Amino acid sequence: MAALLFTGCADSYHWSSSHPTYKQAPYGELTITGLQKAFVITRTKWFANRLDFGDSTQIKATEFCAKAMEHEFRGGYSKLSVLPDSVLANFPEESQKLDDRIFMKGKLPEQGVTVSAPDGSVPPQILLIHEVIIGTDLKRENFFDYALIHNELEDKREVKNISAIVSYTLWDNVKQRPLFSAVDEIQHPVIKLTLADLEQLMRQTVQQIRKNMYTGAGK
Amino acid sequence: MKHLSLIAFAIVIFAQAFLAGNVHAKDIFFDSPWTLWQSADILIWTPDKEPAIDPKEFCLSLRRNNSGIGDPKCRLFGEWERDTVAMRYASWLSNNIEPGIDAHLLKARHPSMMAKIQALEDKIVLFIADKGKDLQIAIFDETTLEPRSAGTVAKTSDKIALGDDIASAFFGRHTKRRLTKEERLKKETEPDELYKETPTFRSWAGISAGYAQAQIPLTPYSWYKRKIRSRVSNYRATRDSVSLWNFMDDSTPLFTLYAGGIWFGFIGGEIFYRYSDHAVKIDDRDEVYEELDHWNFSQHEIGLNVMFARTYEPFKWLDLHLFAFLGFQYSFYAEDIELKDSKKKPSREYETRFKTEDPYKGALFGFGSQCVFLQHYGLSVRTGISSRGKDVYVEPSPDAAAEPTTIGASTVDWFISVGLEYHWTPFK
Repeated sequence: MAALLFTGCADSYHWSSSHPTYKQAPYGELTITGLQKAFVITRTKWFANRLDFGDSTQIKATEFCAKAMEHEFRGGYSKLSVLPDSVLANFPEESQKLDDRIFMKGKLPEQGVTVSAPDGSVPPQILLIHEVIIGTDLKRENFFDYALIHNELEDKREVKNISAIVSYTLWDNVKQRPLFSAVDEIQHPVIKLTLADLEQLMRQTVQQIRKNMYTGAGK
Repeated sequence: MKHLSLIAFAIVIFAQAFLAGNVHAKDIFFDSPWTLWQSADILIWTPDKEPAIDPKEFCLSLRRNNSGIGDPKCRLFGEWERDTVAMRYASWLSNNIEPGIDAHLLKARHPSMMAKIQALEDKIVLFIADKGKDLQIAIFDETTLEPRSAGTVAKTSDKIALGDDIASAFFGRHTKRRLTKEERLKKETEPDELYKETPTFRSWAGISAGYAQAQIPLTPYSWYKRKIRSRVSNYRATRDSVSLWNFMDDSTPLFTLYAGGIWFGFIGGEIFYRYSDHAVKIDDRDEVYEELDHWNFSQHEIGLNVMFARTYEPFKWLDLHLFAFLGFQYSFYAEDIELKDSKKKPSREYETRFKTEDPYKGALFGFGSQCVFLQHYGLSVRTGISSRGKDVYVEPSPDAAAEPTTIGASTVDWFISVGLEYHWTPFK
């Protein structure tokens, strides 16, 4: 009954929030960080059985995904710079509220502190990738709605999709404020899992992020 | 011509208003109802090298602009100006305070900054940042982690005028006396109003006197005119017999005995008995009444109310219960009729006079209040509307015409009564 109620509300979630001053999505140029530690794979065993990564599927598959995502971003922005995760290492983890029950966690730079690239330059905007969860048939409300996160997920035998749930913030590095924050869910149907499927999933993820950053501007 | 001059005058007035607005250029982005304390401690916090206003002069500006402010103390907030986190937040604020911004977007996010704001303890922080043409202003108190008010005032080189501008824009509100240490301690330890103990069950018994009439206040007399002016001829005939007030006098004193109880000061019930006496409105022009000495009906009603109440305690010795009630009642009419002694045998009309139904069923609703002094002695006022009715449909009978008419398909009246009550709590 409770599950029914919750799924009933599922459609009304807000999965993104824009700062009132966010008027234009980044174009041509982007700085990104978080690609090193943000990735996590659920149901590692399922993936391990289907992909040929040997012993360390978790590490190698997430590396593969991070690479695929970076590659895809490079395709979208002619001037892409990737900052190491260490630029955020000293900042505390904070929650951002997207909806009544939707909170996303992630490290945000401190108020009054600008993040500079290792070469000393200060990028005006940074896309902070907080978390990328890769698994099978995942639903983002199960991870981000605090009323649902303690529910145990049913272990589906039959896998229809591989999915990625990505939470990210487009950060105004000059004024230190979140311009656009969102949680996206991407589903990619699979019959027999190959690395091409993972690559395709990452491609769709990046497309979704770009699309959302574009539609979220000027809202 | 006269109109033209009026329009010209209006234009001049508007132009003046606009000019005046420009001279004292201030822009308030948001202003929440924060508390301005009497003799407030105002801490001036700025990311600039030199504060744009002089603390002493600003205190004087406050006193000039707000007569209720008492004796404020103003100083630079050195503790925060020497603190890295606070200064970072200050420069962030001066970057982010802009027209149209919401307070929640200016929230302090650093844990140590949050702790600093929460530790302010009744002090008011006045944030001032120089933006060249304007001064940014924001006001913090300990109650929230975001500014309570924010805006800008136009910058001038005259520090006194600047202080006046800030004082009039942000410090014009009513002041509140600050609690002393003892009062604050007492307030912290005193029980929460919302959790005040209410007895599980409170009961009362009372007696009340009042007044009832057919006309409900604030409704037009014309609705009732026909009923109130109606007269009974031939012991039974009126223009219509829907309401008892076609036959009887509607405006009479009313007496009630009642007892009730309430659970948790919220939901309760009451049983009551009401009595009133109604004279029949006979048509004096009718000769048939010459035999009659008097004719009236006493109305007896018993009923049950459900009530919902809300309790207030304005003073230690007074509990005020406001309530609304809804109930049903049965009404019985006892006829008191007597012929003159000289008349031995009543007329035929007398024998076929109208009859009342026994009982009439009805509903009543209304509201009222009970003032209970010293937990026991209550004074209660209540008002409402009550009705009495009967089934309109009766089995047709061949000799219906000869039988006495039963009257009163629907009777409504308004009542008000004042009662004396005794209250007690039978079990704790």
